[in-house]
Amino acid sequence: MSIETISILILFIVFFGLLLLKVPVAYSIGIATTVSLLINIDNLPGITTIAQRMITGLDSFALLAIPFFVLAGEIMKRGGIANRLINFAKSLVASLPGGLAYVNVLAAMLFGAISGSAVAAASAIGSIMTDRMEKEGYPREFSASVNITSSTTGLLIPPSNVLIVYALASGGAASVAALFIAGYIPGILLGFGLISYIIFVAISRKFSKGERAPLSQIWSEFRKAFFSLLLLIVVVGGISAGILQLQEHRLLLFYMQLFWHYFTKKY
Amino acid sequence: MDKINNQINKILEVFLIIVFALLVIDVLWQVFSRYFLNRSFSFTEEFARFALIWLSILGAVYLNAKREHLSMDFLYAKFSPKTKVKAAFLIEILIFLFALIVMVIGGSNLVYITLHLEQLSGTLRIPLGYVYAVFPFSGILIMFFSVYHVIKINKKQLPI
Repeated sequence: MSIETISILILFIVFFGLLLLKVPVAYSIGIATTVSLLINIDNLPGITTIAQRMITGLDSFALLAIPFFVLAGEIMKRGGIANRLINFAKSLVASLPGGLAYVNVLAAMLFGAISGSAVAAASAIGSIMTDRMEKEGYPREFSASVNITSSTTGLLIPPSNVLIVYALASGGAASVAALFIAGYIPGILLGFGLISYIIFVAISRKFSKGERAPLSQIWSEFRKAFFSLLLLIVVVGGISAGILQLQEHRLLLFYMQLFWHYFTKKY
Repeated sequence: MDKINNQINKILEVFLIIVFALLVIDVLWQVFSRYFLNRSFSFTEEFARFALIWLSILGAVYLNAKREHLSMDFLYAKFSPKTKVKAAFLIEILIFLFALIVMVIGGSNLVYITLHLEQLSGTLRIPLGYVYAVFPFSGILIMFFSVYHVIKINKKQLPI
């Protein structure tokens, strides 16, 4: 076996071994890299290179979007955007069998389209929906798995942290904006795929259905969620028109949210 | 030791908040100056990148202090309580070694080389070595937290 094969083998074995032992993922990556690198080159240059790569890897303006994403997601969670999106989605689909499950998927898609982080979507929507679903007689396991799988639509529907990292890892071959635009259709298809599976489960397990919301209620929920939905347009428009760089775009979003939270508190 | 630990945590929290606030103001200023003053300053972009380095590395240290780094526990959950303690020790030792070897030794060497070469940043003209110095410093903090956690686990004062 050549030295390359051996170091690749060691890289993978050490990485997955450490991962299984509950070593934090970041350290598993770091330790596996260090071990496999030190087989090939001298100790001091080796560890200096790793330290240097770790710092210069962070030294990127595109990565800056991610902390702002997280900040924006956190503010949406605290500010009640998630709640308004859920109410709007509920007035649309809650009358079907298994209605709250669709609400969960739709709300996660809408939330993912504003926040870009699957974790934020899962915790924001999940913390509200799990209790409501349990109250209406859904098994807790079912609502948890609906919540987790539907939050992954947030990874595909732009803006998405993962796509930024992918664009960086490809070394500039893929543009972030192009990846974002490419993410819409798969994300929406995934959401509808989940919904069609839920239809199947809901009919075969006979889940409860909610009351049909009258048009006037849909309209009033839409009005309450209007500013939250407007954020969607800002996200799509801002990125595809290329007016703002990604990071600045995040920040603008963040200020718009703060502004709207201040005013919409009066509802 | 508890006292030092709490002090470091407090300082880290405040410092991270300040760095993030500066970052937000900096990027906002960049947009504002470009669209309303019709001129852009080149230092805002560089400052944002350096702030990001400090924010992420010190943020990782802070996660270390809280033991909230992402990890997978599907095998760990099946261990007996005794094995769990052993595994927890092993995890802390591995983190300690990584921090010592890569972050402190490798990082110090990197800082030494960049300072020795007198490498300056593009627009702010500060030595890059000072920016990188956060890396060995964070390594020392992570080592401290690992030792602290080992002692705490040994006294059964931390959940495993």
